[in-house]
Amino acid sequence: MTDSAATDTAVVRSTTEKGPRVWQGLLIAAVLLAVGQALLPPGLIRPPDWAILPFADWINAAFYYAQNELGLMQVTRAFAGGVEWSLDVTGNLLYGRNRWPRIGPIPWSTVAVTAGMLGYALGGWRLAALAGGTFVWIAVMGQWRWSMETFSVIVVAAPVSVFIGLCMGTLAWRSKTAERIINPILNIAQSLPHFAYMIPVVVFIGLGPKAGAVVTIIFSVPPMIRMTLLGLRKVPEEVVEAGKMSGATRWQLLTRVRLPTARTEILIGVNQVIMQCLAMVVLASFIGMPGLGQRLLQLLQALRIGPSVEIGITIVLLAVTLDRLSRAWAMRQPAHPEPGESWASRNRLWLIWAGLVAAAFGLAQLVPYFHEDERSQALSIAPPIDAGVNWFIGFVSPVTDWIRRVLVVWVLIPFRDAILWLPYTTVLAAVAALGWAVGGWRSALVCVGFILPIALSGWWDRAMITVYTVLAAVTLAGIIGFPLGIWGAGTGRRAAVVRLVCETMQTFPRFIYMIPVVMLFGVSDVAVLAAVMVFATVPIVRYTIEGLDSVPPETVEAAEMSGATRRQVLGNVRLPLAMPTILVGFNQSIMFALFMVIIAAFIGTQDLGQEMQRALSATDVGKGLVLGLAVAFLGLMADHLLMRWAERLRQAQRL
Amino acid sequence: MQRHAKLLIGAAAVALTAAQGHAQDSSDPIIIPTHNWSSQIVMSHVVGNIFEDMGMSVEFISADSQAVYEAIRLGDVTLGLEVWEGAFGASFSAALEKGGILDVATHDAITREDWWYPMWTKEACPGLPDWEALNACAEIFATPETGDRGRFLGGPVDWLKNDQQRVDALGMNFTVVNAGSAAALWAELAAAERDSTPIVLFNWTPNFAEAVWPGEFVEFPAWEEGCDKDPALGPNPDATYDCGNPADGYLKIAAWDGMPEKWPTAFAVLERINFSNPQIAEMAKLVDIDGLDPEDAALAWLEANEDTWRPWVE
Amino acid sequence: MAQPAISCRNVWKVFGPDPAAHVAALSAGGSGAAGHVVAVRDVTLDVTRGEMLVVMGLSGSGKSTLVRCLSRLIETTAGAIDIDGVEIGSLTEASLIALRREKMGMVFQSFGLLPHRTVLQNVAFPLEMRGMDRMARTARAREVLELVGLRSREDYFPRELSGGQQQRVGIARSLAIEPDIWFLDEPFSALDPLIRREMQDEFLRLKKQMDRTIVFITHDFDEALRLADRIAIMKDGAIVQCDSPDRIVLAPASDYVAKFTAGVDRSRVVHVGTFAMPLPPDAPPEGSPLPAGATLREIARSLVADPRPTIPVADTSGRLVGALDRNAALDLVLEARPA
Repeated sequence: MTDSAATDTAVVRSTTEKGPRVWQGLLIAAVLLAVGQALLPPGLIRPPDWAILPFADWINAAFYYAQNELGLMQVTRAFAGGVEWSLDVTGNLLYGRNRWPRIGPIPWSTVAVTAGMLGYALGGWRLAALAGGTFVWIAVMGQWRWSMETFSVIVVAAPVSVFIGLCMGTLAWRSKTAERIINPILNIAQSLPHFAYMIPVVVFIGLGPKAGAVVTIIFSVPPMIRMTLLGLRKVPEEVVEAGKMSGATRWQLLTRVRLPTARTEILIGVNQVIMQCLAMVVLASFIGMPGLGQRLLQLLQALRIGPSVEIGITIVLLAVTLDRLSRAWAMRQPAHPEPGESWASRNRLWLIWAGLVAAAFGLAQLVPYFHEDERSQALSIAPPIDAGVNWFIGFVSPVTDWIRRVLVVWVLIPFRDAILWLPYTTVLAAVAALGWAVGGWRSALVCVGFILPIALSGWWDRAMITVYTVLAAVTLAGIIGFPLGIWGAGTGRRAAVVRLVCETMQTFPRFIYMIPVVMLFGVSDVAVLAAVMVFATVPIVRYTIEGLDSVPPETVEAAEMSGATRRQVLGNVRLPLAMPTILVGFNQSIMFALFMVIIAAFIGTQDLGQEMQRALSATDVGKGLVLGLAVAFLGLMADHLLMRWAERLRQAQRL
Repeated sequence: MQRHAKLLIGAAAVALTAAQGHAQDSSDPIIIPTHNWSSQIVMSHVVGNIFEDMGMSVEFISADSQAVYEAIRLGDVTLGLEVWEGAFGASFSAALEKGGILDVATHDAITREDWWYPMWTKEACPGLPDWEALNACAEIFATPETGDRGRFLGGPVDWLKNDQQRVDALGMNFTVVNAGSAAALWAELAAAERDSTPIVLFNWTPNFAEAVWPGEFVEFPAWEEGCDKDPALGPNPDATYDCGNPADGYLKIAAWDGMPEKWPTAFAVLERINFSNPQIAEMAKLVDIDGLDPEDAALAWLEANEDTWRPWVE
Repeated sequence: MAQPAISCRNVWKVFGPDPAAHVAALSAGGSGAAGHVVAVRDVTLDVTRGEMLVVMGLSGSGKSTLVRCLSRLIETTAGAIDIDGVEIGSLTEASLIALRREKMGMVFQSFGLLPHRTVLQNVAFPLEMRGMDRMARTARAREVLELVGLRSREDYFPRELSGGQQQRVGIARSLAIEPDIWFLDEPFSALDPLIRREMQDEFLRLKKQMDRTIVFITHDFDEALRLADRIAIMKDGAIVQCDSPDRIVLAPASDYVAKFTAGVDRSRVVHVGTFAMPLPPDAPPEGSPLPAGATLREIARSLVADPRPTIPVADTSGRLVGALDRNAALDLVLEARPA
């Protein structure tokens, strides 16, 4: 650890040798501003009132203009109308909503059989068991209708997302200008907290399943755009030339050569769209997405932990199933049929599927249980879960009381007060210094460019509380996750276990964590930290493992042949080489922490998230977006600094 | 059970449609919002079932309980069944002023939202429910975050409860910590129950929590109209909010102003709908204690309370 | 003289911020601005109908860029290229597409096959672009696959085939429309040496069956010698010599070309007809003539045994075309270069 730190500073030093040591000067200025703040005019401690710009009013005015003068409202409502029509159809098919075509609901047993067959076709028995089993679990646990309500939205949102993503990705690939416009929007959109764009959706679309679908579409489009762009870029030039020489027109080239050749990347994009849709299941229910998320929030509101955990398990199972299925689809390569195969044997899987569906359908007609399962027949594992959670809380609460007291009194409150004590000019200077140290004047400018608008927005203190929470959470996450990652990187088996745990923790709905966390730590910063840490630790563990495991074996062998002990190999060879990857992990950790801090407002915070919650219930678009952008800017600044640093380390390693 | 109840309501509906065969109600769905507390969801389904069996098409959507008034105004949502004076009075009044929304009826049920404690707290602080007694034993409510001062666990800030102003106005030795959601309130309460830690928090009635955790509201100086605007009212002559919340807040029904025209029959029924505190508490209990799903709870309630709702539809 | 199939006049291709200005500067004898890369430098070249021209050069010499200029996969910076007398730089996109659909076929180094299509669908692709109906294009694609010996693999996907087989698919695809002009961009470079040799034989077999203009790119001098009617050697974007294999081996135009020929067994390349002197008008040599189309290596045995100092050379029709200086020929066979 100390060695890697040494190399880091060495790199920083080498970069600054070129120019004057501006960043040190800036740092000294920052310290002086902080220490001497008693002498400073108040305008240098907190932004003076006249400098606060009414961003929220401007945004609201713009939205009002768009909504009422430009008639954008008609456009969005028309789009929402189309979405709603599709939702009616899927709603009828999946859970028997009383709309055209009035056929549904499809018996659950046929859906489960279809899922199992799909799993078998794409990935063999194991995937078949996972996919079929997931749907059987849903039915048996009496969550069929809720899950289908959720599904009815996802099966509309995901294809729309994929389509929009394909179009925008193609556009960005086609035109440099479009890419230049789309790219920063994607960067901001991907670091904007979910609630921030839920408010405009409420204004323009309204509430209900259609709003849930639209917000899910907005949330899941960015990765599709990126993957489409990447895929189109990766199409080998010769394949395109072969297409041109075959006399293909531009349109033929795009649709028959480029897009099919980019199939793998595009399907990975589809996979990400599906995962993003599932991540929105709970959050979108704040504006009317029906189904599992809505039930989950209702259950949590009544403190019914057991049933909420059941829903949580369903969401994780669905996420894992859909992830595996879509990834298997993406990785699947076409293969030729055996020569002389009969029609029946070529279409064997289709025939089996048709047979199974018919059988399930018949069964559903005979035994109603296999058609539509009633809640009253559901199994439940809630009582043992409740008992388990209770036992666990009783078991650890003596320790957690102590942890809470120590952390709050000795660490968190002093830390928070210290951050709030800093004049904003100190923070600006320090950020500029950091930027300069990592990437010269350009980075310094970028960082100041991100943080100055926050000072001018009037939300400085709240933003600093967010910074404090994120810093504390990421530090604690590092203290826990970093050693865990080093431990996990030892062997493949450990890494697999750690990865599985990480993946599960990440897909488990975040809201469920908040209840036990509050029961353990009360409504306090420690509870917030604990909830945030659950997420922030995951990327650190993951990337530490990945970084350490991707160190070339020859390098390690060379070190071993030089007589290094295991500890020396780790400290002098593997960690320094893994450092750029580990930094990427920290970067993601900060991103996750920022997202989670906003959601942790539901525990009780005094930061940007709390105001965001207020803006959401007041449908204040301007305020919501300003707060959201403040969060996004913090994230983008951290991203810039860490990625720059990682890049620098990588370059140094290449030399 | 579901089918059984449907038949039951169906019979009533036949009688109804026979009487009002010429009703001009639109076939578009009546959209009823559900929020995130159980009594409201059950009540919405009770009313929804009544409408459905009158031959209307009904749809439920989950919506934020503050944002919903804007949605009602625009007609995205047709009606709101639980307009709490304390929690949503401000949003509702604002929407009324902007127009597009109707104040349809007022339930018999009265609502109260205020500082509250579970019974075990009384053992540690015997002078309760008087607020001065509470203030005297402030230190037993202290937490690491609040130092020596007592902690009052308030509801989410967007419930706009002015607790901090009250603490200041009455010179109380308390710090307000806002929970971020009702779930966080209950989680704290459940945790306090384990070792009977004294706790004072925000609560309201009617609510399922009354049945799980018996408790009482703290008695503050009684609410007088204008206490939140006129410093002269209340014990502190220099401060506003030096009083408790109204102990008998209204619970209203709101509807989109297009509803009477579009669904006249349904609107006529809506005007007659009226629930009392025990009825609402029972609805909450069916879900939160008995563990029924809201839909089933609504049917169970309809089955058990036919005397109550039958007059509304006839 | 007949119109050439392909005719290039002063063709330039420059990459950089201001290519046109760079060409102007270089043409005027200046050095041009920094930051430009000249991929094709002032190339003037004719390919006659039915001729096979091999463009040979090391990597970076601009040969791949040149062939892409000829097919207008990239735009030239300056100069003109005529295909059958039509200036292709001025064609509209539609006419260019029509030209490719009617007249051109191209084979690529890394095959450029469409991974999501079967072998048959890949071969049928150009026909599909032309709008040919499914039955007709499938029949034609099968025909071409038969030609390259891949009929049995028509349902396979490219990734299921070996490199050699993939290139046969590439060849079949380029021949599907029966192009007049056939471009091959290092078609065998990605294959291992044994397969390469086999494919060259296959290629010569195919070439014999058809009569079309071929531009073949390679970095392998032996391959060029083996296949070419004429070789154009490129260096730094310019053609340093364009001649028949015999001429290149016998009279390299520069030291650069000489380096390539140094290791070559010239007797395998040089033909009797090329090496022969003109017939002395007064006293034509007597006796049985040697065939003009044979390489010196092929007649080496009879050369050693033949006592005549000058030997008559006749073409396939038996007409005398020249006289061979036996000693000079023997010197070349024995690789003793005359000083």
